[in-house]
Amino acid sequence: MFFFTYLSRELRRRLRQAIFIALGLAVGVGLVITVTAASAGVKNAQKDVLKGLYGVGTDVTVTGAAPSPSTSGGGGGGKTRIGIMMGPNGAQMCVNNKCHPLKNGYTLDNLGPTNYSPIAQSWVAKVAALHGVSAAAGGLLLTDNKTTISQTPSAPTSFTVDGTDISHLKLGPLSQAVTASGRNFTAADANKNVAVADKSYAASHSLKTGGTITIGGVKFTIIGTVTQPESSNPPNVYIPLARAQAVAKKGPSGGSLKNDVNTIYVTAASASDIPAVQSEISKLLPSATVTTPSSLASQVTGSLNSAAKLASDLGKWLAVLVLIAAFAVAVLLTMAAVSRRVREFGTLKALGWRGRRIIAQVMGESLAIGLLGAAIGVGLGFAGAAIINAIAPPLSATLNSSSGDHIMTPSGPLNPTTPHTVSVPLTAAVSGAAVLAAVVLAVAGGLLAGTFGSWRIGRLRPADALAKVG
Amino acid sequence: MSAMYELTDVSKTYSTGSRSVEAVSELDLTVADGEWLAVQGRTGHGKSTLLNLLGGLDRATSGQVKLDGRDLARMRDGELTRMRATAVGFIFQTFNLVPTLSAAENVATALVPLRVRAAERRRRVAAALDSVGLADRSRHLPSELSGGQQQRVAIARALVKEPKVLLADEPTGNLDEETRDEIIGLMEKLWREHGLTLVLVSHDSAVVRRAQRVGVMSRGRLAFRE
Repeated sequence: MFFFTYLSRELRRRLRQAIFIALGLAVGVGLVITVTAASAGVKNAQKDVLKGLYGVGTDVTVTGAAPSPSTSGGGGGGKTRIGIMMGPNGAQMCVNNKCHPLKNGYTLDNLGPTNYSPIAQSWVAKVAALHGVSAAAGGLLLTDNKTTISQTPSAPTSFTVDGTDISHLKLGPLSQAVTASGRNFTAADANKNVAVADKSYAASHSLKTGGTITIGGVKFTIIGTVTQPESSNPPNVYIPLARAQAVAKKGPSGGSLKNDVNTIYVTAASASDIPAVQSEISKLLPSATVTTPSSLASQVTGSLNSAAKLASDLGKWLAVLVLIAAFAVAVLLTMAAVSRRVREFGTLKALGWRGRRIIAQVMGESLAIGLLGAAIGVGLGFAGAAIINAIAPPLSATLNSSSGDHIMTPSGPLNPTTPHTVSVPLTAAVSGAAVLAAVVLAVAGGLLAGTFGSWRIGRLRPADALAKVG
Repeated sequence: MSAMYELTDVSKTYSTGSRSVEAVSELDLTVADGEWLAVQGRTGHGKSTLLNLLGGLDRATSGQVKLDGRDLARMRDGELTRMRATAVGFIFQTFNLVPTLSAAENVATALVPLRVRAAERRRRVAAALDSVGLADRSRHLPSELSGGQQQRVAIARALVKEPKVLLADEPTGNLDEETRDEIIGLMEKLWREHGLTLVLVSHDSAVVRRAQRVGVMSRGRLAFRE
């Protein structure tokens, strides 16, 4: 076809200019791809951090109100009276008039909620019935405190215990756990004294699968160990919820937690439902704290946060500016090229070429330059992403509470006084959609340049064009 | 002999801001089919404007320009374009070849609007180049040809579509005397062979004296020598 002959000859003749325009578009397109890839990498890193903290499948976490100072440490059991009594049988420790002999080696083992007040378990079903809620499961986040009476005084020890709803293992702290040894819970374990230990905790406390651990004064058999994502703050030990409710006490006073939970894990029907679900739960349980990944994300600081801001603010605008500049250069150079070819186009009109046939020729040339720019731009984009991956330092994400309150995550509360920092690698990922968008942008840039050039040709009268001969 | 062109009371006025210039003024002209008319005159006296009106490159401000019985002023832009594609061949002073296309491809540009099939196009282009003595230069770019050869390519381009009319605007203006005579000799030969109507604008007396009739444009008016 003569169209392609003419097109190829023109591009070859104006090769330097064609390459210059294509490179301009390519730099813009490459920058868009690189910024998009870096931005996607930062988002993925954020997602990884939040996924680690928040767990797969959990969209909303509801926790009971923090206990008042008067009941703090006791888990909300009212005023506690503790005293040492001397009697005919020797020394006794009395808590709310309930006394235990103080013998050498005697261990006081109390399992109870530390950070959150109990919520009646019946609320779990009510939350599950809310519009936009796909599933809800209750949990008990507890702390086991051990104090051993000894002639050589030793510091009390404590570890965190999660009462897990075994019927909803895909919700809550065990949702992301990977079994390291032994096995995870099954439905048959619901009422058994069995426990799953965090692998790190087990290793540091010489706990092994098949061994036992005493929780709240009751021996539990360890059926397995699990690992959790690096960025999470997992409980040390997991036990079935029913057993946790039976063993745990509201405090030393001994109030039962049999029908209580202190955490509700919720999955929304869709991501768009999360804000509405959060609002509904807040209305239903006004004293509870309702946390979502986005509210958690707002508390993430560190270089990850800075990178996210850099990518979304400076990077985005830089890419837009370069793209606009590239488009402007392409338009101006194409218009200049058309100006130089006015006599040529006038001659073709004199030969009987229709205006739209000439416009198609110019548009074809611009399209070819746009495609060349897109091809180079995609290459530059991949190179930019590769450079970022090669030289970018790992990003740190620090989760800290500005209010001083505990930050709730499905895997447990984070200590407000000790910022929780994790390091995540930045992997700039070039997506197919970004490549497609970049190609469309480059072609659009080429066509835009062609359109401006063609607009002039369309208005050109042959006699005027030929008059430019001089 | 029938009239190829009939111009009646034709005027063409250009406006530049508040000023208007009458390039062609109340012109009456008849050009017979197969006639060679030469138009002489000083620069800026309307020669090229007249040629533009004859070729449908511009429209008269008033009056009638009839080509083969059809009034160009009444034609729509598309019809004028079609008319230029089929009936009129142009030859320009500066050759106006597309610099990126070879001699053969330049000649072929005249056949693009006619949608001639590739094989037929190649045959006609080869024949046209042969008729101007450039069969062996078909693959050469304009920059690889002399001025005379470039004008031969332009003549081949004008004739390849077998037009009724050949309009030449200073076709030898950029050539030396020897080449000028060669080109005019070639145009005369082709005019005779093809039975064309030829309107040639030139200020060169050596060129116009070869024509059957010579008119002189002065201040937009055309007068003929007795």
